Amino acid sequence: MVNLPTTPTDIIPFIIAIVTSHTFITLVIFPGFIHLTIVVMFLTWYERKLLARIQLRIGPLYAGGPGGILQPIADGVKLIFKEIMIPYKAEKPLFLGIPLALVFLGALPFAVIPFGQHWVIADLDVGLVFIFAVASLFPSMILIFAWASNSKYPFLGGLRSLFQQVAYEIPMWISALSVVMLAGSLNLVQIVDAQHKIWFIGPAFLSFIVFFIATMAELERLPFDLPSAEPELVAGWFTESSGAVFMVIFLALYMKLYLMSSLITVLFLGGWWGPTFLPQPVWFILKTLVVATAIIIPRGVYARLRVDLLIKVGWTRLLIIALVNVFITVVLVSTGMLPGLGL
Amino acid sequence: MDLSVPPDITFVVLTTITLLAAIMALQAKELIYGAISLGISFIGIAGFFVSLDAPYLGMLQIAVYVGAVVVLILFTIMLVRREEVDKDETGETGESAAGLWLAGLLAVSIAGIAALAGPNLPTTPPEANLPISQLGAVLAGAYPVPLIILALLLSAALLGALVLAKVDR
Amino acid sequence: MPGLVSYIIVSAALLGIGIYGLSVKRNAIRILFAVELIVNAANLNFVAFARYMNPPKLSGQVIVFYSIAAAAMEAAVGLALILVAFRLNSSIDVRKLNKLKG
Repeated sequence: MVNLPTTPTDIIPFIIAIVTSHTFITLVIFPGFIHLTIVVMFLTWYERKLLARIQLRIGPLYAGGPGGILQPIADGVKLIFKEIMIPYKAEKPLFLGIPLALVFLGALPFAVIPFGQHWVIADLDVGLVFIFAVASLFPSMILIFAWASNSKYPFLGGLRSLFQQVAYEIPMWISALSVVMLAGSLNLVQIVDAQHKIWFIGPAFLSFIVFFIATMAELERLPFDLPSAEPELVAGWFTESSGAVFMVIFLALYMKLYLMSSLITVLFLGGWWGPTFLPQPVWFILKTLVVATAIIIPRGVYARLRVDLLIKVGWTRLLIIALVNVFITVVLVSTGMLPGLGL
Repeated sequence: MDLSVPPDITFVVLTTITLLAAIMALQAKELIYGAISLGISFIGIAGFFVSLDAPYLGMLQIAVYVGAVVVLILFTIMLVRREEVDKDETGETGESAAGLWLAGLLAVSIAGIAALAGPNLPTTPPEANLPISQLGAVLAGAYPVPLIILALLLSAALLGALVLAKVDR
Repeated sequence: MPGLVSYIIVSAALLGIGIYGLSVKRNAIRILFAVELIVNAANLNFVAFARYMNPPKLSGQVIVFYSIAAAAMEAAVGLALILVAFRLNSSIDVRKLNKLKG
């Protein structure tokens, strides 16, 4: 570590030492604050453009530069200037504080996701369980926020969202269990390392499908959109949020999208492995964008599914497929049919 | 206790969070704020687990307690709402004073015994290497029967809760 | 790292808070809060002892593993009971829930 500055001439080397230290670079620049902010804003533009092209329109066009690339900034400015309306008898501290907590929890798991061999903020031995623990906090915060809005559409939307997210968490983590068995570790860096010969989408293909569908349900994207569907519940659990509150929730949702896409890349698509003509983080971001595209496209293509059928599918069909894959993985690993895969 | 050693900042912060949140969980006027404080107290305990070289247990504590038990509690609070339910006054003053005496006496006696045995208890933890794989090995290797019994118990509890809370239409 | 005594004192304090809540509060859900606090105090004690033993044994962590699962189960069943009691008596004040009939 560096020595604390004792004389005034020591301060500049001290600051330079801190700014160029590995922790600072990963925490603030990449994959830290600055990179997250830029990518999340880019994702909002990307989704609007992509959906527009699928629906045969053009999408954001005028907000600066080619193709309206500064549209997210324009959106942010507009939303900041709107009035925050707090419903009658709503719980004000919860109503204003929980969106911030949602953004915080959406960004927190990025501390363990490796963007490259050394591009990880915190190399935890229990990285995957850490992400699981943080992801399990989302439904409760949404429920509290929905209750704190003191109005019936948000409350119903919050209940439906809670049921849906809780139902799909379990197949998600059981299919991640197959990956953990193949890699032999809960550490995300080691899970990616174990994929240098073959990506886990090969041996654990059923797991990949289950995890992908469960991710789309967790993120409340169409076709699993009922908790925030317009003809049904006005806007679901964030009906009463307006202005800056809505902007913060919007950011939290896209942060979660980026997080889940990165997680799918780490677990199934080989993380940063790729031919060496591009640096490792670039491969990672490319793969993540491919996954995000695959998550965004169904929104413009499929119809919405009814929420009780949805929950039933989550608890019965998906769970069984995930368990079948765990069984297959146990057979594959214990009979040694997959040499060289950790364990 | 060795008073010449400066107190560990992590330990002090975690203790303050946990104990204050526990007191707030019982004293908050609205039940929902009490449930949220309980969740914060659980996160404090998970922090203790992580600082005691049990990170897997800490994450499990957050995932199970804060992610499931607190959600259940919030659910139940929302389902039993009536105007009088949320105003939580304790009984007559006599009751709360007796409760304070009882709890205080018990806590102080346990703490006193611990402090008296202080010199015989270790002050610094031994050097340890507790990898997660060892926890898994112990769970599945030395205690497989409780694991299976736990699974059966979980199914029984799930069915029981479902049957109890079912509404006969 | 503080000594083992500090962890025992914290755990005893949590136990005291839990017992206060258990004996004084009249709202059934607050009593459930208190029970969960007591169980957490015991878990903290187990993990602290498991760490400070020489050599550290992992059995303490295994016990806490089961304790967390068992406490979650108990909370689920307890809350279902509170729901049923509320439906039958329209109150969750434990001073009023003193009839076995109905």
